[in-house]
Amino acid sequence: MNLTRKTQEVIRDNMSMEDALPTKMPIYVNSFAYIFGVITLSALGFVVITGIILAAFGPQWYHFSNAGHFVNSLHFWGVEVFFSALLAHLITKFFMAAWRDGRWKTWVIGMFAFALSIFEAYTGYLSQTNWDSQWIAVQAKDAMNALGIGGFFNTMNTGQILTLHVAVIPLILVAFVFIHLIVVRSDGPVKPLEKKDSGRKK
Amino acid sequence: MSRKTDEYFKNVPMKSYDLIKEGLIVFGVVSVLIIVLAIIFSSPDYPTVRAKQIATYEPISYLQTFTDILLGKSEISNYGPPYDNDVKNTQSLFGIAPAKILGTTIPINAVNDFVIDPLTRLAVIDKNVQTSLDQFKNASSQQRQVWIDNYSKALDNATAVNGKVQIVNGDYGPLPVMMNGLLLLGRSGLLEGALQKNESPYDFYNLNYTKPLLLFQGKVYHSVAKSLNMLGEDWGIANETGNYPGAWWLWPYAFFYQIPSVSTSPNGDLEVGLIMIGLFLVLLFLPVIPILNKIPKWVKVYRIIWRDWYKR
Ligand code: HEM
Repeated sequence: MNLTRKTQEVIRDNMSMEDALPTKMPIYVNSFAYIFGVITLSALGFVVITGIILAAFGPQWYHFSNAGHFVNSLHFWGVEVFFSALLAHLITKFFMAAWRDGRWKTWVIGMFAFALSIFEAYTGYLSQTNWDSQWIAVQAKDAMNALGIGGFFNTMNTGQILTLHVAVIPLILVAFVFIHLIVVRSDGPVKPLEKKDSGRKK
Repeated sequence: MSRKTDEYFKNVPMKSYDLIKEGLIVFGVVSVLIIVLAIIFSSPDYPTVRAKQIATYEPISYLQTFTDILLGKSEISNYGPPYDNDVKNTQSLFGIAPAKILGTTIPINAVNDFVIDPLTRLAVIDKNVQTSLDQFKNASSQQRQVWIDNYSKALDNATAVNGKVQIVNGDYGPLPVMMNGLLLLGRSGLLEGALQKNESPYDFYNLNYTKPLLLFQGKVYHSVAKSLNMLGEDWGIANETGNYPGAWWLWPYAFFYQIPSVSTSPNGDLEVGLIMIGLFLVLLFLPVIPILNKIPKWVKVYRIIWRDWYKR
């Protein structure tokens, strides 16, 4: 078997240039419900960019620099917008039953991205190196310990938490989001639910 | 389009669309919104709570933190895994205690790590501390217990005058010198450093704040948190300082801690943790869970979402 040829075939069957970068959409893609995924993605991009700036100057820069504090505020509000849009995205996709016609893969990958986002925000709060980090670290450790996670994930080990927050989790999260988008584009937007009196033929 | 999408969209009318333009417009609008929010509301950055402040402004609470450790009744005493082997307080459900699996991976010996070690460092500078420390170490455990009990009782009635803790005379052995040493170490701002230092050859670098954080996690942190409305009953870690939205996405998690049977249960953390894992699995497998995956059909929000399509 020629692995390269096989790969070509899989890609050809599942993704074309028109799938990846569409210039046409089914007419039912005409609703506010489609905007939340794009807002989530935009806010994620914004948070990554501001996060790179914060990381480049070091974890304590923003305490002592006005510019740093402003970038921190951008990062912070980016996260608030991100989670608002993410929740709206999840809820609308639920009410659209958007997992139909094989799109459960998109749903499952999205859920993993959601869980990773929560973990990422959590390590972010712990990485602030301020009172909130102190308090959250000692409060949250009990839950981690009770679940048996505390033995290797130590909320009070700032070096570990910071590298998780700025490198490990974001890389995995962005990878999941990337796969989510590939599957979304490869499958195309799911058809509206059948409505008996709509007269639409299957 | 690919074979798959060609098939799926057969008979579906298409309209023209520009993915990149839409993406750029949304990114632009979202960026402006975030920038405006950041300019108007800024972000919280409440300074850290340090031993120096506690020793200076709350010297009695500061010293009580250490006497509680000597008495074996601080939060960290007998905590169990991952800090020590004492498993009687370890949370478990149906006989399973996940914390026991990995065991003691972050060993903490409260008396040694929080009292003896920092004083041993101070003793290099102050010979009185050395003498008292030796006296303490060489005493029988009954004798030590007497001193500790006497001292901690006296401390409950002590007064702080100009930052000096005044205690009635009594049989305290070396404890007054030791406690004063810890107080001065705190005031000098060196306590956290003394706690973090260990004898590892890589100790020059230290990015781990486990010990300094564990020391004041009890009454001291709680009183700070209380003054900032950040206690568990105020929805704990989902809150943050000031009037900021905080981690509101953790509300479902914080919610379960508000249920009386959970908040008073000795296994509350484990229960809530498992409930959350369960809820996540429900969401994850929602597409294939009977009844739940029919809800969208019954609720009919989809008719609003795709109303233009159904109008055709
Ligand atoms: C980091 C988080 C996420 C990002 C950046 C993201 C982004 C997107 C984008 C841009 C789309 C296409 C536009 C749209 O239909 O809205 C989409 C589609 C989709 N997303 Fe997400 N998403 C995320 C998380 C989630 C989560 C948590 C779920 C649900 C559990 C989910 C489920 C779906 C589904 C089912 C579709 C396909 C919709 C269809 O076929 O019409 N996503 N996502």
